[in-house]
Amino acid sequence: MSSSTARPPLLEIANLNVQFHSRVETVHAVRGLSFTLGRERLGIVGESGSGKSLTGRAILDLVPLPGRVSADRMTFMGQDLLAMSAKQRGALRGAHMSMVMQDPKFSLNPVMTVGRQIAEAYRAHSKMSGRQAEEHALHALESVRIRDPRRVYNLYPHEVSGGMGQRIMIAMVLAAEPELLIADEPTSALDVTVQMQVLAILDDLVKERGMGLIFISHDLPLVGAFCDRVIVLYSGQVMETLEASELAQAKHPYTQGLLNCMPDLNRRDDALPVLKRDKAWLA
Amino acid sequence: MSEAAVNIDNLNVHFGGLHAVRDAHFSVRPGECYGIVGESGSGKSTILRAISGLNPTWTGTIEINGIQQTPHRPKSFYRTVQMVFQDPYSSLHPRHTIDRTLSEPISIFRLDRAEERVRSALERVGLRPSFRFRYPHQLSGGQRQRVAIARALILEPSILLLDEPTSALDVSIQAEVLNLLKELLVSSGLTMVLVSHNLAVVAHMCQRVAVMNGGSIVEETTADALRDGRVREDYTAQLLAATRSYDRAAARGLDPSD
Amino acid sequence: MTALRAYLLTDDAQSRMQSRLGQAYRRWLVLRGNPLAMVGLFIVITLLLVAAFAPLVATHDPIEQNLAHRLQPMSAEYWLGTDALGRDIFSRIVYGSRVTLFIVLAVVVTVGPVGLLIGATAGYFGGWVDTLLMRITDVFLAFPRLILALALVSALGSGLENAILAIALTAWPPYARVARAETMVVRKSDYIAAARMQGASAFRIILGHVTPMCVPSAIVRSALDMAGIILTAAGLGFLGLGAQPPLPEWGAMVATGREQVFDQWWVAAFPGLAICICALGFNLLGDGLRDVLDAR
Repeated sequence: MSSSTARPPLLEIANLNVQFHSRVETVHAVRGLSFTLGRERLGIVGESGSGKSLTGRAILDLVPLPGRVSADRMTFMGQDLLAMSAKQRGALRGAHMSMVMQDPKFSLNPVMTVGRQIAEAYRAHSKMSGRQAEEHALHALESVRIRDPRRVYNLYPHEVSGGMGQRIMIAMVLAAEPELLIADEPTSALDVTVQMQVLAILDDLVKERGMGLIFISHDLPLVGAFCDRVIVLYSGQVMETLEASELAQAKHPYTQGLLNCMPDLNRRDDALPVLKRDKAWLA
Repeated sequence: MSEAAVNIDNLNVHFGGLHAVRDAHFSVRPGECYGIVGESGSGKSTILRAISGLNPTWTGTIEINGIQQTPHRPKSFYRTVQMVFQDPYSSLHPRHTIDRTLSEPISIFRLDRAEERVRSALERVGLRPSFRFRYPHQLSGGQRQRVAIARALILEPSILLLDEPTSALDVSIQAEVLNLLKELLVSSGLTMVLVSHNLAVVAHMCQRVAVMNGGSIVEETTADALRDGRVREDYTAQLLAATRSYDRAAARGLDPSD
Repeated sequence: MTALRAYLLTDDAQSRMQSRLGQAYRRWLVLRGNPLAMVGLFIVITLLLVAAFAPLVATHDPIEQNLAHRLQPMSAEYWLGTDALGRDIFSRIVYGSRVTLFIVLAVVVTVGPVGLLIGATAGYFGGWVDTLLMRITDVFLAFPRLILALALVSALGSGLENAILAIALTAWPPYARVARAETMVVRKSDYIAAARMQGASAFRIILGHVTPMCVPSAIVRSALDMAGIILTAAGLGFLGLGAQPPLPEWGAMVATGREQVFDQWWVAAFPGLAICICALGFNLLGDGLRDVLDAR
C-alpha cells in the first residue's frame, strides 16, 4: 500500500445516534457522537450505560434489534457505510474491520480446536490450501506470543485459560489483516498480570501492522496509558476528547471525578471523593 | 492482646482433585478490616466460603470469637457472621421486594420491632425509605449492593465477610460503596474480612493484607508496605506493578505463562 | 384514571399493597401488549362466563332426550344439531364447559403445587432425597398416562371425582421434572446462598425462594397440559370410567359421536371444536403469561 499524503482518514463519524424504541419508552443510548480515526489507538471510555459498546457495534453494524442507528456521516477508508447494504457491511466486517470481545469463551466454537478455527479464518479470507492455512495459523499463534503453538493448535477452547483464549481470539481476528480493530473490554475479564500481557501483544500488533484501534473500556487510567487519544462518554454523549498523555490535566468535571474516585495505591484517603453527576453535562 | 475475631489455622480445601486452599493461616483482630488479595483461582473466595459455612468441605481450624467451628453451623452462627456477595445482580432474589428481603432475617429469628429495624437498616446504608417496596430490577447496581449490605447488617453481626463487594460496579459507584463500608467499619466496630482482586481497593480498606497465589497465602503484609513497594515475594511485586498501570516495559517483564 | 395509573406505576411505592398492585399492573401492561395472549384471555374469560351462566346461555335442557329429533343437522331450533339421543348439542357443549373446567382446574390446582414441591425438594437437597423422589417420579412417568389412570380408576371405582384423582396422580411427574431441573440452577445462585446466610431453613428456602422461580414454567406447562387433561378425561369417559353418561362432558361427547362421524359429522365435530378452542385459549394465555412472569 502506498502512503499518499491525501489518504482519507480510516474512519469518520459525524453525529452518530443509537436509539431503542419500545412500547414504554425510547432510550437514546448514543447521542450525537462524532470523531475521526486515523491509524492510531483511540480509547472510548465510560461507565456502564454510557453507550461505549454500542458505539463500537454501530460501526460494525452489529447493534441488536430493536436498536436504530443514524448518523450524518459514517465513512470507512472513504467508503460511505450508510449507503451500503447489510451484506456489504457484513463483507467489510469480516475482511477490513474486526472486533475482539470481552469474553473469548463466547466467541470461540467449543467443539473445534482453536488451531483449526484460526486456519478456517485464514481460508475464509484468502484462497489457500489446508496445509498453508495451518502454517499461517501456527504463525499467528506465535505472533500472539504463544510459546508452543503446535500444542495449543490442537487444544479445545475449554482447555485454555482466559488470557490465552483472548490471545487466540486476537490471532484469529488478525487472520483477515483488518485495517480497523475494535476491542470491546478485551482485558476486563482477565487477571491484572494477564491483562498486561494481552495489552502488550495488542500494542505491538497495532504498531507493526499500522492498524487503527478503537479500545473500548471502563478503565480510564488503563486507556490513558495504552491509547493515543481518549474520548470520555457519559450517558451516550461525549464529555471530553483529549490526548491520553494529558489525562491528568482533564478539564471536564466528569473525567476528573472518574479519575479521583478510584482508590489509589499512591494516595491515602479516608473517604474517596464521590462523583457528582450534573444534568447540565447533557446539554 | 485481645482474642482474635477470626482465627484460621492450617485450613485446607479440596474440590475433587483440586487443592484449592493450602495450609492457610491468619488471624483477624476485632474491629479490623483484614484484606485477602489474589487473582482468580487463588483460593481467596474459597477461604471466605469456608468461614461463612457455605462450603462445608474443609479441614483445619476455623475459630470465630474463640469458638471452634464445625463444617455445619447452627442457626445462631448467622447472628455473628454475615456476608456480602460480589454481584448484587444475582445476590438479591428477583421476585422479592427490598422490604421482603430485609424482613426475612427478622422473621427467621423472630426479632421484635421489625418495622423499625427495616427502616433503620435502609437509613444506615443511605437509601431513601421510598426504596423499600421496590423490586431489585427497579434499582441500580450500587443501590442493590447497598440493600445487600443492609441485609447483612440487619441481624447485627459482629463479623462481616465481603466477597469482592465492588468488582461488579462502576468505579464511581465503587467509591460510594467503599465509603459506606469504611464508615461502618469506623462507626460500628464491625470486624471485616475483605476479599478482592484489586490491590488498590484492599489497600484503601485494610491495614493488614494477605496475598494469595495458587491456593496459598504467599505473603502477609500491610497496606503501608504495599504503598511503599516494600514487598518480599516476586508475585506480590508483579501484582503491584500490574496494578499501578499499563507500562510497556513492565508488561514485557511479565512472561506469558502457558 | 391518570392518578390511579401514576399510583400504580410509581417506583416509590408506599406500602406492600401498592407495590404488589403496581407489579400486577405492570404485568397487565405487558400482557396487554401481546395480541395472541389477549385472544387466549378472551377465550378463557368467555369459557368462564359460559360456564357460570350456562342456564341462561343454553337453549335446551342438556340431558333431556327427544328420540323423534335424533341426529338432526344444524337448524334454527338446534343450533349445532342433535346427537343420537336427540339432545341439543349446543346446550350440551354449554353445560359441558362446567364439567370440563371443573376437571381441568381440579387437576391443575392439585398437580401444580405437588409437582413443584416434589421437584424443588429433590433439586434442592440432591443426594439420596433426589434419587428417591426422582425414581418414584420415573415409575409414574414409565406408564402411559391413560393406562395408569385406567388402573387407578378401576381400583378406586368409576366416577368423575375418581377420574380427576387418577388424572392428577398421573399428571404431576412432568411438573416435578421441570421444577427439579430449574431448582438445580437456582440453588447455585447467590441469592440462595444469601438466604442460607440469613439462617433460613431448607423448608423456608424451598418454599419462599426456590418455588417462586419455578412457577412461570409450571404455569406454562399446565396451560399446555390442559388439552391433554381434557382428552384423558374424555378417554376415561368413553370407557365408562370417567364422567357418567348423562353428564355432558366434551370428551365423552366426541367419543360417542364417533359412530356417526361420517354421516352426522356435527355430533363429534362441535364438542371437538370446543376442546380445540378451549385448549388453544389456555395455550395462548399460558404463553403470554410466561413472558409476563419471567424475571427481568
